[in-house]
Formats: sequence, C-alpha cells, structure tokens
Amino acid sequence: MVSDDRSPFPSWPSAAPAPTSGPAASAVASLPAAGPWFLARANLGVLIDLLRSDGRTVIGPTVEDGTILFAEIASADDLPAGVGDVQAPGSYRLVTHANRRVFDYTVGPQGPKRWMFPPRAQLSVGRRDGGAVTFDAAPTEPARLALIGVRACELAALGVQDRVFLGGPFTDEDYRARRGNVLVVAVNCTTASSTCFCISMGTGPEARGGYDLVMTEVDDGFVVRAGSPEGTDLIARLPVRAADAGLVVEASDAVARVAAAMGDPVPTAGLHDRLLAQWDSPHWVEIADRCLACANCTLVCPTCFCSSVVQRSDLDGKVSASDRVWDSCFTVGFAKVAGGNFRTRYRDRYRQWLTHKFATWIDQFGTFGCVGCGRCIAWCPVGIDVRAELMAIAPPLATRAEAAPVLPVATTPGDYVTGRVVAKRPETSDVTTLVLGDLDPAFLAGRPGQFAMVALPAFPPLPISISRFGRDTIELTIRAAGPATAALTSLSTGDQVGLRGPLGTAWPVDRAVGHDVVVVTGGIGLAPLRPLIDALIAQRNRFGTIHLYYGARTPADQLYREELRGLAARGDIDVQLIVDRAGEEWTGPVGVVTHLIDRATWDGSRSFGFVCGPERMMEATAEALEARDLSSERIFVTLERHMECGIGLCGHCQVGRLFVCRDGPVFSLPQLGDLLGREGI
Amino acid sequence: MTTRGARSRLRVGVAKLASCDGCQLTILDLEEELLAIAERLDIVEFPEASSLRSAGPYDVLLVEGSVSSPDQAAEIVELRRQAKTLVTIGACATAGGIQALRNWSDHDAFRTAVYPRPELVESLDTATPISDHVKVDAQLVGCPISADHLRELLAALLVGRRPQIREEAVCLECKRRGYVCVMVATGTPCLGPLTQTGCGALCPAFGRGCYGCFGPREQPHAESLARTFAERTTGPADVARLFAGFTAWTPPFRSIVDQHGGPPGRTPGGPATKEGVGDARR
Repeated sequence: MVSDDRSPFPSWPSAAPAPTSGPAASAVASLPAAGPWFLARANLGVLIDLLRSDGRTVIGPTVEDGTILFAEIASADDLPAGVGDVQAPGSYRLVTHANRRVFDYTVGPQGPKRWMFPPRAQLSVGRRDGGAVTFDAAPTEPARLALIGVRACELAALGVQDRVFLGGPFTDEDYRARRGNVLVVAVNCTTASSTCFCISMGTGPEARGGYDLVMTEVDDGFVVRAGSPEGTDLIARLPVRAADAGLVVEASDAVARVAAAMGDPVPTAGLHDRLLAQWDSPHWVEIADRCLACANCTLVCPTCFCSSVVQRSDLDGKVSASDRVWDSCFTVGFAKVAGGNFRTRYRDRYRQWLTHKFATWIDQFGTFGCVGCGRCIAWCPVGIDVRAELMAIAPPLATRAEAAPVLPVATTPGDYVTGRVVAKRPETSDVTTLVLGDLDPAFLAGRPGQFAMVALPAFPPLPISISRFGRDTIELTIRAAGPATAALTSLSTGDQVGLRGPLGTAWPVDRAVGHDVVVVTGGIGLAPLRPLIDALIAQRNRFGTIHLYYGARTPADQLYREELRGLAARGDIDVQLIVDRAGEEWTGPVGVVTHLIDRATWDGSRSFGFVCGPERMMEATAEALEARDLSSERIFVTLERHMECGIGLCGHCQVGRLFVCRDGPVFSLPQLGDLLGREGI
Repeated sequence: MTTRGARSRLRVGVAKLASCDGCQLTILDLEEELLAIAERLDIVEFPEASSLRSAGPYDVLLVEGSVSSPDQAAEIVELRRQAKTLVTIGACATAGGIQALRNWSDHDAFRTAVYPRPELVESLDTATPISDHVKVDAQLVGCPISADHLRELLAALLVGRRPQIREEAVCLECKRRGYVCVMVATGTPCLGPLTQTGCGALCPAFGRGCYGCFGPREQPHAESLARTFAERTTGPADVARLFAGFTAWTPPFRSIVDQHGGPPGRTPGGPATKEGVGDARR
C-alpha cells in the first residue's frame, strides 16, 4: 500500500524529548544508534520496571476472560507466556504452547484504540441560570502510558487515526493529548491467525515506524531496535547486548515466514474503483441476510472513529453533562433525521461500512481504513468474513483466478528449457507420473493449477498440468492417449524433456483460508488438483473442514491410490471415492461423483469448491455445490482445450472471449458465465 | 423551559397488573434522587411505596405487569381513561413477560393440574402486553427496567423534552466497557446482538450470554442469530429455549420460538414439568 519513505503513519507527535545528559545519554552515544540488540527473555521485566519507574502506566497483553487482551500490567509475570490464540470467522480460542514465548499470539479482542480514543469521554458540562448559559469543557489530563506488544497492524491503525483526528483542518485535542503521552513498544509478528491479512493491506507483519522500540521474539529472547530518541535512551538503560548475525537472521526469517504463509487474501489493486462500481450489487442483499447490524465489527476495528454525544441532565434541565461515546454506522439511529433514516436497511449500512473502509476512506484520508488485523472477522458473532465479501462483491481485475506469482521461463513458443526425468511411476494401466528434476527455478515457484508446455522434438508440444511441486522436482501425470503422450510416458529415467512455463492461473488457495473446502474431481482430473491438496495439507489448520470427492470409472482407474489411503487415514480430511463400475473387491459406493455431494449433509455457505473433470461433470458438480449453498464466486473449475502457444497468441484455446491458457485454465464460475459446458465434449 | 411550580406539579401514578413489582422497586432504587423527584412530581398512587391511594385522573401513569386476567383486561381500559400519558414499564407490561410462555400451552390443563380448586382461579388463556389492549404513549423495557432509563424519562417529563434512550444492541455496551464477547471467545449463545441496551451488559460482564431481558431492539435480525446458534453453539434443539425468555412473546423472538417448535418442556395439553406439578399437589 505504501513505501517506507512515504509512510502514511506520521511520526510520533510531541513525545517527551529524550534526556540529553547524564550517564544514560552518554551510554547511548557509545552504542550504534539503531541496534539491533538482544534482550534475554528473563530481562523483559527490567523493561517493564523501567517504564513504570519513569512514571508510565504499562499497558500490555495479558490473559483475561479466555483471551489475550490489552490491560494494565505490573510485571513480566502478567504477560501471556506459553499462550497462543486460534482465530477463525466468529471464533477465538486460547491454546497452550510448549514454549514460554510471550508474544506467540496475534491480535486480541480490542487494540490500543481505547487509550487514545476512549469509549466514553466527558466533553463538557452545560449550565443554565435564568437566561444565561455556560459550557465548561472537561479537562484532559491523560496518564503517561507505555503500550507493550503493539503489532504492525495496530501501529498502522494508530497512524490512520492520527490522520483522522490530527491530519485535517480541525483536530481532536483530547486525542492529541493522549497520543502524545504514549510510548510504544512494538512487536513484529512471528505468527499469524487465519483471520490476518496485513500483507494485503500493506501494514505488516513487520512494524514500519511509529514505535519507540520494536522487538522480534526469538528462542531465548528478543531482537530489539529503537525507533525514537526515547527508545534509544531506554536501550541504554536495559541489559542488552549487540545481536549477532544469527539472531538477526532468525528474527527476520520468522517474520518472513509469517508473510509468506499469509498469502494475499485481498488483492487491493484497483479495489477503490472495483468496489464503488458495485453500488447496486445483489451481493449486498445476500450479506444482509447474515449481518446482525450489531456493530461489533466497527467497535473492534482499530480505525473506526464514529461517535455520538449523549447527555445526562439534572431533573430541572439546568445542568447537563455531555459525553462522547463510541457509536457505529450500523446502529439504527446513526443516519436518522426527523422524518426518516438514510440507511434503514442492513444492506445500506453494510455497504456504507465496507465502501468506507476500502474505498471512500482513501478519498478522505489518503489511505485505506482497513489495516488487515482481521478483528472484524473473528469477532463477528455470525462469522462474516470481510475478505470473502470483498472478493465476492469486487473480484480482482483481469484474471480472477490467482495470477501467477512468478514470470514463466521460455515463454516464446519454440524456446524451451529442459528438465530431466529423475523417477517414473505407473499410476494405472495407461497413466504414468514423471518426476522431473534439473529444473529452472521458475518451475519450483509455480502455483497449484498451473501447467507447463511439454515437448519432445518431432512431437507436438502438449499442455500438461503440474501434478506436484516438490522441493526441487515437479511431477507430471500423463495419460498415454496419443503418440505424443505415449512418447512422454515411455521416457526413461535420465531422459530430458523440453519445458515452458509455469503457465496460466492457479487455484486461489489463499482466498479459501478460513473457509471449508470441497474438492471434486474424476479420473485424471485429480492430477491438477493434487498440488492444491498438498497446499491444503501443508497449512491444514488454516482451513475448516476439507472434503475430497473423487470418482473414477473403475477402482483400477484411480490415481495415487496409496496417497488417497494416506489422506483418508489422517482423519482431518473427508476422503470419499466412488466408481462407475465396481469390481469384486470394491466395497465403496457406485455411481457418479455428484451423488456424493447430493448425499452430504454439510452446509456449503462457508465453503470454497475446486472442481476438475470433463465439462459436463463440472457443470453438474457446480449445480450440486450451489444446491449446498456454495456461492458461485467460490466455485472454481479448470478447463481443458487444445493449446499450442500457452500465452494467448495462437488462438486455439479460445472459449468465447477467454483464452484458456492465459486467462485460465482455472476460472471462477462467474468468470465463465454460461460458457461452461457450452462446447462440451 | 422552566420547572413546574408546586401548584402545577404533574400528578403521577404507578399501577400494576400481573407482575412481580420489581419495576416499582426500581423507582425506589433511585434513592438519592427520590426526594428531589417527589418534590417535583405529585406521586398520588404508588402501592409498592405508600398506603396512600388516589384514583385518577393522572397526568402520567406508569403501569407494570401484563394483562393476565379478565379483571386486568377491564382495569387497563379504565386506567387508560384516567391517564393523560400512559407509560408501560418492564418486560411484563411491554412484552407479556415470562408468564407469556403459557401462551404456547394449554392453560386449562395447567390450571387444573396446579390448583386444587381451579374454578376459583380466574385467568385468561394468555398473558399479553398492555399495548395489545390500549394505546400506550411511551414504554420502558427491561426485566426489571433500568433506573437510568426511568430517571431519564422523569427528567424529560419534568422539563418537557423527549427522553434520550439509545436504541442499540447490547454489543455496543459490551465493547465500550471492554467486555470480551462470550459468543466468540467461549461459544456461549448470547442474545446481545438482538437485544435493546439498557442493562449495562450485565450478563456478559459475568461471562454469561444475554438472556434478552430488555427485548428485541429495533429491526433485529433474529433469523441469522438463530441460525448461528443452531450451527455453532447449542445445536438446533436449544434454539427455542434461548429465545423463550422474559420477552419471548415479542414478535421477533416469538417467530423464532415458533419456528423451533415452541418453548421446551411444553407438553401440549398438559403442564410443562410434571415433577413440579407433583410437588404443588403435595
């Protein structure tokens, strides 16, 4: 969203100047200014004691009411050592960790907003004496605070509120006074919840300024840096040593892993316009069917700033105190005037909130109103996921399946790189899996659902789905259906093939995070879905229930039989197999794969569906999934077409306006509209 | 805007129908302001507080309790005639109260099972809110009502302004007070998102779900929360029980109770809990 040099988060306003003399100051001068230093975990208490002895009230994370929340803490003993959180739409639970880390959780029920922008603040007292009236503003005498454990998204939120309350022609002086009295010890995230999406909003997981100190937790303590003169002064008074390179790498690796695992659940390119173009989207009505208009999303939001003034008068109406209280655009009275309400319907209120956060906020304040902390997702009593709603209402532009993250190699038709067959596995009587090594790294960075153009001299090039991305290999699962595929499946270990790719769109795995997943496929259609299944398993706890429904002509036609058995044995994936014709040994169900969906009892309203098979089968499957309440925006299919160039230039693979090779092969149902099955084989 | 002088003090009465008197007690709970209120209002009828009785007419009449007997049905019509402004107070008067659960059951069977001489008990089949019987000018909801709401109503009456009582979900009060959402953090079903604020989020403060004592707020989307209870917290079997509380007879909650087969323990044609009935007979 922003680059470092144009940070939207103003530097600290009017923080107390650091002392410039005395032993502390001279110690500062002798150390490198920015660190990094190492603070042992056992010495974290020294920091808290220092802050308290400086006259600050210390606000930090502590376990209370089944959550890790911000509250006043007295010592390091109050921190959540060995406690973590598991968050999902509408759900928050604590878990115990084997380690004694104190910041091994993400964000709690409310951020530090309430200390800068209190939920209830006295504004003034009005008095009426005969004909005279007076109003006395309430005094602001904010406590000196230190906030410990503030995350990157929360820092960004403070920056957003700075813009709201201090950045315009009129300012909130109560906020300014409180804000200027706060010292911040930030923490870089080394873990993320399924609800987190700071990556998409460009705010985390690494703090980018606006802190006095920032810490990254490592095995034995913290790698610490200073971000202000006051932070540097604190460092000088702490029992720290210079952090060696190993620790610094351990810390930055931990943060990088969080970023990589999060993916990009809300692609924000053009989001402002995408969203505002959907003023009349029917999806607002669909959301209103679930939304309670209870206002929880806005009250847990670290940037929401709406408030109302309430009065309490004496019995004679002569003395009246006015308080400002948190309010919300979801309350019934919020847009009421004499004679009516501008936002009577829930859909109007949800639209106001969502378009404000992700579009009109930019027009007002030059930044998104969302920092990706995910609180509105976890703390929605009915589990509405703002990421999914955004993607349903305003899907990303151009390709709506996941765009390829890396540039393919050898894009020009005829210009191949090579791979070498390092292993070979028969799957069925006519299907073989080739394991390819000796690869260009671009192939290893491919995404589930992508394909490669594969060629041998003298044979036409073929588009083949990549059926596994290994550490330094990829797999291709090929049915010997003609001369070219027969030539490929008869290669021996050590033989080379020509490769171009990886090409095309991918299954949007990251968008399904926090949701249930249904994978439906038949025959060799399991091959392009296998990397998706690998990705689901690799991050199993980031998804809800997972169903895999696989149909084959006969039991002997099933691919990857050993792996399927292994998947079923895990116990956390529902694997169901069905065949058209059973042999004597088959005890499972017989029929078409859609029977498995029809027979299921789950509610698909929170599911993503990924489907691969013949188009008629995908059409029937999509219908069956929609009947289970999956929304069509969350159903993805992959199309097969004749392809030669793989980059949208040769024209073979066109379906209506789409080039399957370039715009697909993975498509969402709405992208295809009525194109699915129209030309079917 | 001036305070009314002694000569023009508002004549205020407090009356009750079928109720526990808890809302009248809330008036006495105003404690330190009670004297000031009594100086400014002429409280002529208040059975919970004083043996002095005075018939109407009243400038303002506060009425608690539901209409549960033929006598009460007649009485409320007469009270309405005596009152310039009629204010219903509490869940019984505004929603029928907990006793409205009998509206789902066979009233005669209850009466026969509980009382040795049922023919002496004159009661109606249903317990209903006062607004089903006469026009109501204002209401204070809650079981019992909020002392703050009452104070605000009286202060507004005295000065001649509109009372400022917020129409919003209990959730807002939970969040302002920093209470952790029991539904999200512990999976405890909570009616807070549908319920009118005023209690100060009393139950969530103690880790309990909201029982809906203050009844549905304006435009509650009860279906969505009921679905969530069924899917995520209690399962479908308990949904009716959750909505069948002090304000079950309000249309939004009643519709959920109906959709889920009525209040639990209800034996059509018979009493709710057979053991309880046995005890009463002994």
